[in-house]
Amino acid sequence: MNTSNPNDLLARFFGESGKTLLVKDSLITGYAQVLTQNVAVIGTCDGTYIDNAAALRLASLVIDCIENHPQMPIVMLVDSAGQEPSRTCEMLGLASFFGHLLSCLQLARQNGHKLITIATGKAIGGAFICYGMFGDRIEALDSASVGLMPIEAMSAVTKIPAATLTALSKTMPALEFGAEPFALLGGVDEVWSADVNVPEKLAAVISSSTQEDHRAELGKKRGGRKWAFDVQNRVLAESAK
Amino acid sequence: MKRASLYHEQTARKRIASLVDPGSFTELLPPPERVVSPYLPLLDIPVSFDDGLVIGRATLGGKPVYLAAQVGQFVGGSVGEVHSAKLTGILKAAARDAIPCLLLVESGGVRLHEGSSGEIGISEAMRAVFECRAKGVPTIAVIGADIGAYGGMGILVTCCDFRIMTEHGRLGISGPIVIEKWMGKQAYDSSNRALVWKTSGGKTKYLLNDADVLTHDDSASVGAAIGELLSKSQPITLGGLKTRQQELEKRLGDFGKTSDPEEIWKAFGIADIGEASLASGPEFVALAKRKTP
Repeated sequence: MNTSNPNDLLARFFGESGKTLLVKDSLITGYAQVLTQNVAVIGTCDGTYIDNAAALRLASLVIDCIENHPQMPIVMLVDSAGQEPSRTCEMLGLASFFGHLLSCLQLARQNGHKLITIATGKAIGGAFICYGMFGDRIEALDSASVGLMPIEAMSAVTKIPAATLTALSKTMPALEFGAEPFALLGGVDEVWSADVNVPEKLAAVISSSTQEDHRAELGKKRGGRKWAFDVQNRVLAESAK
Repeated sequence: MKRASLYHEQTARKRIASLVDPGSFTELLPPPERVVSPYLPLLDIPVSFDDGLVIGRATLGGKPVYLAAQVGQFVGGSVGEVHSAKLTGILKAAARDAIPCLLLVESGGVRLHEGSSGEIGISEAMRAVFECRAKGVPTIAVIGADIGAYGGMGILVTCCDFRIMTEHGRLGISGPIVIEKWMGKQAYDSSNRALVWKTSGGKTKYLLNDADVLTHDDSASVGAAIGELLSKSQPITLGGLKTRQQELEKRLGDFGKTSDPEEIWKAFGIADIGEASLASGPEFVALAKRKTP
């Protein structure tokens, strides 16, 4: 599957209705259909970096959906390499723009909109945290690059040799980069193979998704993130005493 | 008058002790329980018995609170798997018990040594912040340490009901060193502390309304600011989000073309940049004309 062209990707996800989505400045916004169900779509493509204006455009569509399309599921497509690393973006308060986008998604959730994420390309660092990781369910194409950062970048910052990190990543999927290891941590529900029927799959995920955050439990069950669930529960138990 | 010690110079446990009612703090999963990072020993890095996060409950002015305080001295207050799980746990406890939660933030963001594990952990903590907000349980972040709130922690604090900053606090996502590497030293000289603080420091964040309160860099002032906010919350409403959207669009229109933070200061009535640079938090507030939301 060619994921480099956003139009091909949208056709595969939403069929003819994908053509009604606006693809502009590497952002995807609008309304489309999954099989026969209407959905709102916010997304990034081309591995773009997300800046203040981009966060506002995505937030604007979420607000419109809440206001005009009660309970319509919101599909989030992620292909972004990160937050725009610029002094002006930081000066203008990029974190607050991301917080606003997340707050919009939270109100959507509270108002009964299902939030479904699919990592279609790059889903890295702050760009994934600022909307995609907030989904009720988080899916990934098997070709997606999901994670905090590639091992080479991690090595450059931590000064730990890449060979050491690579060797450790064999038993520590948290250090590995990609959709499969991220799923082992519980951060992705399911990795979709290249031959999956996307609309059918997506419709099934929308219909079966629930709101509770089950990632820590999933990470423990799958063995990639063994401690988070137990530590969370220990705090809950001891604070109740 | 006896001067209280500077907030930014204190350690996490001292900060808690200086803010809450004397003797009221009970730590959960305290150091003797050795809830440590399972990752760091594999990388030959020493662990800390609290994994860089102190959590517990206390009273403040007689009212119960839950607290989480990050330890900046330990791997930059960074958020790994255990650290994030403690944070998520205390926020979920706050939501469950309808008790306000204070976050004393001092963190560069996700702990790189634990890879994607801390990234997912921060996202879980964000969900827990919003669990509190959905129930009207106040979440208050205090950002007053030199490390500030960066990366995923920078995003997380913007999800809370309120942010209290001192002139020492910084709030952002990408830190100055990362941006310098990316854009070059001419675009952002990370060793220029004045520029770094004007870009991401409490004063500019206060002007832009990203910090609700700008206080003195001492515990008494921070504590008073917390006291003011403890019984308030900011429910997320459609009207509120639409107003916020307009505010942020206006901000982008007003200042999107400049990269000079002094333009923002001037636009908010700061006539003498030098005087304002040396001003304490409250002095700066008096000099500026912030538009109240």
